[in-house]
Order: sequence, then structure tokens, then C-alpha cells
Amino acid sequence: MRHSATWASGGRQLDLTHQIILAGGLLFVASILASVISSRIGAPLLLVFLIIGMLMGEEGPGGLAFDNFQTAHLIGSLALAVILFDGGLRTRVASFRVGLRPALVLATLGVVVTVTVTGLIAAWVFDLPLLVGLLIGAIVGSTDAAAVFYLLHAHGLELKERIGATLEIESGSNDPMAIFLTVAFIELLLGEHQSMGLGLMLEFVQQMGLGGLIGLAGGFVLARAINLVPLTPGLYPLLAVSGALVVFGLTAVAGGSGFLAVYLAGIVLGNRRVQNAQNIRRFHDGMAWLAQIVMFLMLGLLITPSHLLDVAPQALVVAGVLLLVARPAAVLISLLPFRFPLKEQAFIGWVGLRGAVPILLGLFPLLAGVEDAAVYFNIAFFVVLISLVLQGWTVAPVARWLELDVPPRSRVIHRLELDLPGQPEYEMVGYHLTADSPALYKVVRRLRLPRSTQVVALIRDGSLLQDIHDEILQVQDYVYVLTHPEALPDLDRVLVAPTGPARLEEHAFFGEFVLNGDTPLAALSSAYGLSIPDQQHGDETLDQYLLRLFKRHAVVGDRVKLNNMEFVIRAMDGNRITQVGLKISRGEGGRTAR
Amino acid sequence: MIKIADLITPSRTACDIDVTSKKRGLEELSELIAASDPALPAKTIFDKLINREKLGSTGLGNGVALPHARMDGNEAATAAFVRTREPIDFDAFDGEPVDLLFALVVPEHFTDEHLQILARLAEMFSDAAFCKQLREAADAETLFRLLTEWDA
Repeated sequence: MRHSATWASGGRQLDLTHQIILAGGLLFVASILASVISSRIGAPLLLVFLIIGMLMGEEGPGGLAFDNFQTAHLIGSLALAVILFDGGLRTRVASFRVGLRPALVLATLGVVVTVTVTGLIAAWVFDLPLLVGLLIGAIVGSTDAAAVFYLLHAHGLELKERIGATLEIESGSNDPMAIFLTVAFIELLLGEHQSMGLGLMLEFVQQMGLGGLIGLAGGFVLARAINLVPLTPGLYPLLAVSGALVVFGLTAVAGGSGFLAVYLAGIVLGNRRVQNAQNIRRFHDGMAWLAQIVMFLMLGLLITPSHLLDVAPQALVVAGVLLLVARPAAVLISLLPFRFPLKEQAFIGWVGLRGAVPILLGLFPLLAGVEDAAVYFNIAFFVVLISLVLQGWTVAPVARWLELDVPPRSRVIHRLELDLPGQPEYEMVGYHLTADSPALYKVVRRLRLPRSTQVVALIRDGSLLQDIHDEILQVQDYVYVLTHPEALPDLDRVLVAPTGPARLEEHAFFGEFVLNGDTPLAALSSAYGLSIPDQQHGDETLDQYLLRLFKRHAVVGDRVKLNNMEFVIRAMDGNRITQVGLKISRGEGGRTAR
Repeated sequence: MIKIADLITPSRTACDIDVTSKKRGLEELSELIAASDPALPAKTIFDKLINREKLGSTGLGNGVALPHARMDGNEAATAAFVRTREPIDFDAFDGEPVDLLFALVVPEHFTDEHLQILARLAEMFSDAAFCKQLREAADAETLFRLLTEWDA
């Protein structure tokens, strides 16, 4: 009897296992397919995940009750660590040139200003103790890496490098600060610190110091390990992600900021020459998606939507203060020394996307047993919803409206970095020739390809052609080219017809003529009868002049108007301007359309 | 506003000339302009045009170039147009060799007019259908007619 009863209950458990797998699989498939719809209607994908989670939850048709905050915290932290690591892997050290210093100020001082302003106003409006107000501010204080990374690259948007780099590095590095402040305010509320001053400072130094040290060291060790240990290729990405989790755990156990450490480790690994780099990046791209889906589905499940309505008035006030007052103020103050153009400041001020981190931080007071913690959690959740809807939906249109996007660098359909030993620079890129391609009906050997670039394969109707160099290119051909990444824009020009908004077409954006960066200003002014104000010395060149105007932080797309001409930075090599577009402003006598 | 018809004449329009280099192309254009204005020696025009090229190619892309310069001595804006038999290398940003060349020379005191004419010419040559007509034209007369009709 007993035996059969155990068997019967075991059968039910097996059934349950299968049902969970089925439900989980359906949930993931639904979320992944939702990305198609979301890109059609322009809704931020993360919002869609969150809503699917809420629909599956206790008050939706799904009916799943999930309110284990401890588990949620574990999964959320894990997912965030993976997302930050992937963010680090994608961050190019080259983008530090224009983005690092502003981003670091935004990630530290900026967070403090955001938290303080939001906290003070929240405390005043709701008549709360100052510390509670500040805690609410800290919970919603950081921008979200996942949301920013995703939205800045969605919809084919290519932002000026200075803005993109600043926003991305900021979003990767400001979570530790917000987490630190949240934990600190909770400890103060629970009376674990005597004063706000010294204890907090020490704690801050410890968190960031350990995070920085272990993160950087861990990144180097991980890169070295990947290069030294012989493994089957499939294991390298796993080694990378497990290494990242070790770095995270080690730092956190030692009392440092694991999130900072894992982001830094990602940056180090992503910028060192490691074997299987392509494989590792691809894998982490998928892992980051998985982490985002898991995290947002889970957070959607966790919330009880009806409780959100109870906090709606408070949450609207907090969101309003955060989006319209605190964030713009923080950006204005933080970017003061960098003198970003006003439009760029306005955009960075608007794109203070909140995502999973505030919701995750909203769990902290619950776990710590702070009074009224559930209210803060619901407020944080509501604020994130508003931010995702309002800001997430408008990132691309606002960028285009403020004219901060630049022509896309490349329209390659397929890129494959070749992990050739000793030849890491080369990439294989594929193009599918469309009916408007400028290369149609040209002989392959007579294509004007950029230097160190070669057509290596031509596939027509599924078959690989022999002797491709004498072939005439036709519509629907797949052309594979071996090239350097820097040559991609030139290669595009040969093989792909320009598309996109008219404003971004090469001529409209960069102007009629192309000048060399090393053109002497004197020669320029004598060619066009131009008077150039505040020229520094007689033999100053155009690139020196522009670098000086933009405080050495010039990026492609920056423009200066002189008399009736505009000079638009067209190409850069590191910190050197190599090409400048010359755009003529039409006088009132000029005709506009034909 | 100056019209294209005020800039060129049939004698300063040439079809299918045989040149093989950027330098030769610019010389040809300079000679066409010099032939109709004794105040402008071909050598001086050529020097001015080549000096401008040193700042960056005046190739507009898609096989068109628009060399230009300001000069002492002439009273009005003057231009010449040639279509080369074979496209010549012009260091254009898109790497395409050039077969349509329009040279513009304006008096020293033309500053804004200079730019406005250039903008107008660039607009004309950005018209792909128009360039196709120029490339298919049978002779210099047709080229001249096409150019002057563009903004008539």
C-alpha cells in the first residue's frame, strides 16, 4: 500500500515536472516571438516581457502565484550579472576616448544628484522622514544597462559616438552606485550605522575599491586562462560566463560591489585578444537575452498588478520628479565640465531609462524587513513601467528629432570575424545584392574595392561560382568579401545602395565636398574667401582647429558653421580627424527643389 | 541668380576627350576656359585648380568632379565642361573614376556667389537621371543643350 502511494505521488510529481517544462517553454517562445511584434510597433521589448510576466501572474489568465522574494533576488542578481558582463564585453575601449569621463561623473555624482533631488521632493510631498525619501530615490536612481544597450541599437539607430558611448558606459557603471546607496540607506534606517558620514565613506571605498580591483584582475586572469587552457571550442564561452560569476561572487563575498567587478571583467575580456572571441560574444549575446527574458518575466510574475493601482498617485509623482527634474538636473550638473552641446545634454537627460535594477533594488527593503517595504517595491515597479513606456518608446524619434543620429556605418548582412591565428584583424563579410546595388552588372575584378579587401566567394542560386573574378554581378548574388573592419563603410559604398532617411544620405549629411583633415586653414580661407574666427596660429590645420573647438572630444557628425559653409567631421582615426565634409548652406536666392 | 547658361558656351563644352589622368583632365579644362578669356592664362587656372585639389578631391562621387577656384583678373564666373572617353582616376571619396568634369572659375570678389553656384552645380550632378543623359549624349552640342536646359 505504502509503496503504491509513493509511486502515485511520484507520478504526479513527474507530471508536474512535465507541465512546468511545457509552461516554461511556452512562456519563452511567446516572449521571443513577441520581439517581432514589439519591433513592428516600436514598443520596448523589455516592457513586453514584463507584461507577459504580469499576464502569466496571479491576477492574469496565467494564474501563477509567485511571491518568493528571496528567489527573485537570487535570479535577478544572477541575470543582472550576466547582462552587465555582456555589456562589458561589447564596450570598446576606443569609445572611452569620448565617453569615459562624462559617463563616470554621471555614474557617481549624477546618481547622487538624482537620488538627492528625487528623495528630497518625495519626502516633502508625502511628508515622509528624509531617509525614507532618500531610500525611494536610491531605488530608482540608476539607469538600466539592459534597456539602454538594447534601445540604443534597436531600430537601426546610429547615434553620434559621444552620446552613445556616454549613455552605455554610464548605464553599465551606475548600478553599483545606486545599489550602494540603497543598501546604505537601509542600514541607516535599521540603525546599523551611527552617522551618515564616515561609515558610509568607508563602505563606499570598500565597495568600489574591491569591485574595481577584483574586476580588473579577474578580467585579466580570465583572458589568460582562455588563451592558455586547451578546451573543446564549445566550452570557452562557458568558461567565460562561469569565470564572470566567480568574479561576481568573490567580490560580493569579500564585501565589494560584484556588479562593478563583473562589468569591468567584461570590458577587460572583451578588449583583449582571446581565442574564440567571436564564439564567446555570440554565446553571451544569447545569454544576455536569456537573462533579460528571465528577469523581466520573473519581475512581472512577482508583482501583484492591483497593488500597483494603490500606489499610483505616489508613483506618478516620483516618476514625474525623476524624469522631468532630477535626471535633467543631474545631467546638467555632471556634464558641466565637458560642455556637451545643449541638444546632446537634452537627449542624455531624457534617456535615463529605468529597468530591472530599480525593481531589483525595490526587493532589498523587503528582504531587510524595512517598514512599508512593499509600498516602495510597488512604487519602484510603477516608475519603471512609466519610464519604459515614455522614454523607451521615444528614444529613436527623439534622437532623430534632435538630429543626433549619423549615417549608419555599415549595412553588411553577415559578419564573421575570422579567428585566424596571427591574423585577427580580418573579417569575412557577406552582402546580398539587391536590385538597386551600385555593383550590379560590373565585373568582379573591376570593382573599386578598398585596400586590403578581396572578394573570396560568389554564390548564385545556391551554387558557389568558380573563377569569380571574371563574373558579372547579378541581382540576388551573395558576395563574400575578406576585409578589415575599418574598410566596411567604403565597401558598403561599392556594394549597397544608400537607404534611410534623406537627411542621413551622405550628401545631405556631410555636404558636397570632402576635405582632407590636414588641410591648412590658410589655404582653405584663400580658396573660398572665408574668414575664420579665433584661428590660433598661421599654420593651423583644419583637424587641429576642429579638435580645439570640440575640446579634443570630436566625433563623426560634429559640425561647425563658418560664414556660409558647414564643416562636418566625416571620418576619424582614433583622435585624429582624417576627413571633413564641406557643406554649403543655401542662400535665400538658391533654389531648393527641382 | 546666375544660370548654368551664363557659365558655359558651346566652345567650352567638349565631348569624349582622350585624357588618362587627373592632371591632364584639369589641363584640358583650363585650356578651354583660357581660350575664351585672354585675361586668364591656362597655366594660372591650372595651378589654382590643382591647388584646390590638394585640400581634398573635388570629386562628388558617382563619376562626377567639380574642380573650382577663385581667380584675379576675370570679370564673371566662367566654366567649362568635358566628358572624357574613358573615366579617369580622381581620388574621389567613393573611389569611382570620373568621366564628367565641370570646372568653375570665379572672380576673387565672388565669395558667397561662388558657394551658391557650387551648391547649384552639385545639386544638378546629384540627379542620377540627368548624369545618365549626359553619359548617353551623342556629341558636345547635346551636352551643352542638356546643361543649359537643366535650370532653364
